[in-house]
Amino acid sequence: MSAGGSGGGAAEAIPQNKLIAFGAAGGLIAIYLSYFMVQFAGPAFSFIGALGAICAIVWGAAAVRRVANYGLGTGVPSIGMLALGMGVVATIFGLAIGGIAGPVVAFVTAMVIGLVIGALANRIIGMGIPIMEQSMTEIAGAGTLAIVGLSTAMTGTFMFDVILTEVIATGYIALIFIVAGIAILHPFNANLGPDEKQDRTLSTAFEKGAIAMVMAGIVSQFQPVHPLLPQSLSDWPYGMFLSASTASMLSGTHMMWLEQVSCQRKRRNRNEHGTCCP
Amino acid sequence: MMYPHRIFNKAISGEPPSNALLAAVGGASASVLMSAYSMSVVFAIAVGALIAAGIHGTYCTTAYLGRSASQKRFRQPIYLDMVRSHVPVMMGFAYITTFCILVVSYLMTSVLGHPFPLTLLAFIWGITVGAIGSSTGDVHYGAEREFQNVEFGSGLNAANSGNIVRKAECGLRNGIDNSWFCAKFGGPVTGLAFGMTVFLSGWITTIFDPSMGANIGWLSIVAGLAIILILILWNRRLEVFARNQYGPYKEDEEVTA
Repeated sequence: MSAGGSGGGAAEAIPQNKLIAFGAAGGLIAIYLSYFMVQFAGPAFSFIGALGAICAIVWGAAAVRRVANYGLGTGVPSIGMLALGMGVVATIFGLAIGGIAGPVVAFVTAMVIGLVIGALANRIIGMGIPIMEQSMTEIAGAGTLAIVGLSTAMTGTFMFDVILTEVIATGYIALIFIVAGIAILHPFNANLGPDEKQDRTLSTAFEKGAIAMVMAGIVSQFQPVHPLLPQSLSDWPYGMFLSASTASMLSGTHMMWLEQVSCQRKRRNRNEHGTCCP
Repeated sequence: MMYPHRIFNKAISGEPPSNALLAAVGGASASVLMSAYSMSVVFAIAVGALIAAGIHGTYCTTAYLGRSASQKRFRQPIYLDMVRSHVPVMMGFAYITTFCILVVSYLMTSVLGHPFPLTLLAFIWGITVGAIGSSTGDVHYGAEREFQNVEFGSGLNAANSGNIVRKAECGLRNGIDNSWFCAKFGGPVTGLAFGMTVFLSGWITTIFDPSMGANIGWLSIVAGLAIILILILWNRRLEVFARNQYGPYKEDEEVTA
C-alpha cells in the first residue's frame, strides 16, 4: 500500500457509470437549458451553465480518482491540467464549427482526443493502466463540459463570436482553465492516501466546483451581452459586489443602459478602463 | 507512514497550478472591478487579492483535512488548532503574493503596453513564481528543514519520505516553525532566483534588441546561451564545493527528492 493510492482499482460506493451519466447528461442539459433560458427569460439564468460545470467537475474528479488510484502520486496535478488542455482545444474547435450544436461537437471532439491520448499512454509509453483509455476519454469530456459550462455562465451564450471576444480575448479563459482544472484535480490530490473515500473526494469536488461557479459569477458582472434586463436583475444570483454602477443603472433608462453597453464594448476593444457616459 | 506529526500538509495541487489559481482569481476579480465598476486600481487589486486569499484558504483547509483523514490507519490526528493557526498565515502569504503579481501584471499592461490582458498575464506570472518557488525553494526548505535527521548529501530515499523531523527546538514542530527557517534562506534565495530569471531574460533582448536587425537578434540568443553555460558551470562548482565541505557524495543514493 503506497501513499499514492492502493495500486489497484478504487473502491466505489457510487458506480462510475452513474457518475458518467450525471456528468455528461447533467452538463449538456444544463448548458442548453442555460442558453435557452437566457434567450427567453433573461440573463439571470446563465448561472445554470455553472451548475452544468459542477456536474462535469464532479465527474472529472471521479475519473481522476479512478485512474490516479493506480499509483500516480505526483501525476495527479498533471492529469488535471491535461484534462483542461484537451478541453480548451476541443472547446474552441467545437464552438467554432458547431453553432447551436457547439457543446455537443466540442464534447465529442474532446472524447476522441482523450481516447487517442489514452491509447498513446498505454500502447506506446506503456503505462499499463487498464482503464487508461476510458479514463482519459472521460477526463477530456469532463474538462470540455466544465469550460463550456463556465463560459456559458459568464456570457449567457456559447456562440463562438461572443466567447471569442468576451472570454478568450479578455483573458478570462485563463481563469476558467485554472479554476476548473484545479477543481478537477484537487479533490483526489487533497484526499490522497490509503483511507481515501469516494464520498469525501466527490464532496470536495462539489465544493471546488461551487468556487468555480462563484468566480464565473464575478466575471459575469463584466458581460453586457444580453441587455434584456437591467443590471440589477442580471447580477441578482451572484450578488457579489454592490456598486455605484448598479444604482446608476437603476436610475437610468433602458436606452441609456443599451448605449452604455455598446460604449463599454468599444472602450474595451480599445483596451481602456473606466466608465463611459452616454 | 506511522509518524504522526504536526506539520501542515498543504497538498493543493503542486506549487505552479496553485499559485496560478491565486493570481488568475485575483487578476480576474481586479479586472472586473476596474472595467465594470471603474474602481481605482489600487483598490481593485487589493480586493482581488483578498478574494484570492479567501479562496486559497478554502483550498488549504480541504487539503489538510483530506490528507489527514486519508491517513487514518497511520494514526494521524487532525489538529483543529493547526487549521486555526496556520490557515490565516497562509492566507496572508497568498495575499502578499497575489498583490505583488497583480501590481507587476497591471504595470505591464498599462505602462509597458503589453498586449495580453491582465488576467492572462497574472496567470502566467503565477505559474512562473510557483515553478521557481517550487524548484528553488523546496530544495532549501523541504529537503533541509524536514529531513535534518538524514546525513547531508545523502538525497531523499523514497522509503524515508515519511520520516520527517517532528520535534522542534521546543515542543513539537509545526509548519510555522518551518516557515521561520525558510524565511532566513529559502525565501530570499527564491526571490533572487525569480528576480534573476526575470531580469536576465529581459536583459538580453534589451541590450541586443532584435528589432535592430537579424544579427543583433542572433547575438541576443548567443548571450542567453552564454549566461546558461556560465550558470551551469558555476552551480556545478558550488555543488562540488559544498559536498566536499559538508558531506559525502553518494551517487548510489541519489534519488530525486
